[in-house]
Amino acid sequence: MTQSTDTSHLSISASPGLVGKMLRARELVLLAALLVIGAAVAVREPRFLQVANLNQVALSATLVCIVAVGQAVVIIARQIDLSVGAIVAMSAFVAAEWLSTHPDGSIAIVFVVGCAIGTIMGAGNALLVAGFKIPAIVATLGTLAMYRGAVLVYAGGRQISATALPPGYEGIARAYVVGIPLLVWLALIITVVIGLAARFTRTGRNLYALGSNPESARLLGISEARCVATVFLLSGFLSGLVGVLWGARFGTVDAVIAPQLNLQSISAVVVGGVSIFGGSGTVYGAAIGAIIFAVMQNGVQLLGISQFWLQAVLGLAILVTVYFYSLLARRAERSQSDSRRTRPAARLLQVSK
Amino acid sequence: MIKYRQLLARWETFLVLFLFVILIFGSWVSKYFVTVSNISIALQGVAPVALLALTMTLIIVTGEIDISVGSIVGLCAASIAICLSHGVPIGFAIVVGVAVGALAGAFNGLLVAYGMLPSLVVTIGTLALYRGIAQIILEERGISGFPDWYQNIGLGTVLDSPIPWSSTIFAVCFFGIAVYLHRTRWGRALYAIGNNREAARFSGINVKGTLLGIFIASGVMSGLASIVLTAYLASARSDTGTGLELPVITAVVLGGVNIFGGSGSMLGVMLAVLVLAFVQNALGLAGVTPEQQQIVTGAVLVATLVAFSGSTLFRSFQANLMRSRSAGD
Repeated sequence: MTQSTDTSHLSISASPGLVGKMLRARELVLLAALLVIGAAVAVREPRFLQVANLNQVALSATLVCIVAVGQAVVIIARQIDLSVGAIVAMSAFVAAEWLSTHPDGSIAIVFVVGCAIGTIMGAGNALLVAGFKIPAIVATLGTLAMYRGAVLVYAGGRQISATALPPGYEGIARAYVVGIPLLVWLALIITVVIGLAARFTRTGRNLYALGSNPESARLLGISEARCVATVFLLSGFLSGLVGVLWGARFGTVDAVIAPQLNLQSISAVVVGGVSIFGGSGTVYGAAIGAIIFAVMQNGVQLLGISQFWLQAVLGLAILVTVYFYSLLARRAERSQSDSRRTRPAARLLQVSK
Repeated sequence: MIKYRQLLARWETFLVLFLFVILIFGSWVSKYFVTVSNISIALQGVAPVALLALTMTLIIVTGEIDISVGSIVGLCAASIAICLSHGVPIGFAIVVGVAVGALAGAFNGLLVAYGMLPSLVVTIGTLALYRGIAQIILEERGISGFPDWYQNIGLGTVLDSPIPWSSTIFAVCFFGIAVYLHRTRWGRALYAIGNNREAARFSGINVKGTLLGIFIASGVMSGLASIVLTAYLASARSDTGTGLELPVITAVVLGGVNIFGGSGSMLGVMLAVLVLAFVQNALGLAGVTPEQQQIVTGAVLVATLVAFSGSTLFRSFQANLMRSRSAGD
């Protein structure tokens, strides 16, 4: 029996039916939540719906969104990547530094360099987790310290400000295509492409199989090492890309940027309905999660709520959604076990009576 | 002979050897390294992390995790600060701080044990929530002006001896928690929960109550750590203790505790705390910046794990080889 027949069998059994419907419903629920939050903000403060403001919200969601999409794939495969923030910082600093010393240099080169840095750092994670079988949470905890330390040493307290950067670079974040920021298009394309790949390619299905049950995935001939390496390389690559975009969007880059990004991306993924234990959820959910956080942040600002409340509100949002999902999952479990067991159990009861 | 082998194979033995290497390296780097005052400085610096690592060990042994400890420290610090700024006596403020820590830990524990939610996610949520509450309470203010005896908790030593007060607190907590974990049936229960929760429940262990208990313990310990930390820094702000969870988890993992639960020892964790403290101190004396120290800390963690995993892989390879050989015979 070849590997392909095994995995195609798996993808058929995993995609349709109750689970598929529930997952789709989950994204609908998320979208509904997003609309409700947006409507609540808009009723209190109509400025929320102005095109300029919506564009700002979308822009502030994009960078977290791209990282969260990478993180979602990692978590679906039952891993976790705590080093994304440090990778973003390294990529951003190297990109900005190169551009500030080569003002006439090609911006395309910066993207290549940034993505390469991200991929190399992702490869470091992949080596530790896939090669040396170190649990991802521990391995990336270690590389988080190493990568962030490396940026701090390399930057040496320097800060590269917007004035030192060529205008074309920052232009990326200001460019609009069909009335929508270029970065938003980019995030959209990345989300959809990875979403489709996760759903329809063999590698994508393997990730779900590995995440939901590593033991049976191994029996099916799925290479755990290859899957794990893939997700860390992808996460590293996307973080590298975001690093380059970070400088374009914010102008000022130093070694301590994106300190919260690890937790932000994991929060977006979790709120987006991806199980922290892997195997279920989609990157679309993670993207919507990132947007929900951006809308809440914007709403807090617009409504004139003290900035100090923001973090508490975000924390509560995470807890509420996680609780909600656990209710959903428990209900699904119950209905499944009901449909399987009611009849024999009922018969048993009749007999005992 | 077999006993020696078992001793050699133990993680703690490795950490002790590692500690010796650092001591040799440190005394080679600077003649001030192996002085009483320097060691006492190194111990004071690591005290908050060391305290938190104790209860983190209990939690990780059961297969759970608490990412929110740094934020609980911040929340306790904010509570103590707000009490002080309203003229509450400091003794009472300390009690309030520890009580707030216990409440925060209890909330985590309730969600994990009785809400049956994954602790990683819950404590990421409460990490944001508790830090947020600290920010709401304290906004941008920083409170200082603690009485001398309070600052002594972080910076002072016991009477005229070179032993820091914070190390004394740590020693007491270490002894209590180590006895609890290794010498009582409630401690053994933590390993059972970490190894097989279902089986633990069926063998009559109160899994939910135990989990709630250790999360409360973690909260109380965060309260203690916030006292030590604010005394050490001589100030309390809403961002006190930010990022503290990372060195704490690093220490626990370096101490040989399985991140998936079920194994690990208090002795290992204490040795790991000492390793981290002395590595950083020796590097500091060698003129290495804190940023570079961060790389080294990460590298120490990764290198030990690679070494350990490498040796395990090698041993299983060897075992396979032996088996195939004996099969060949």
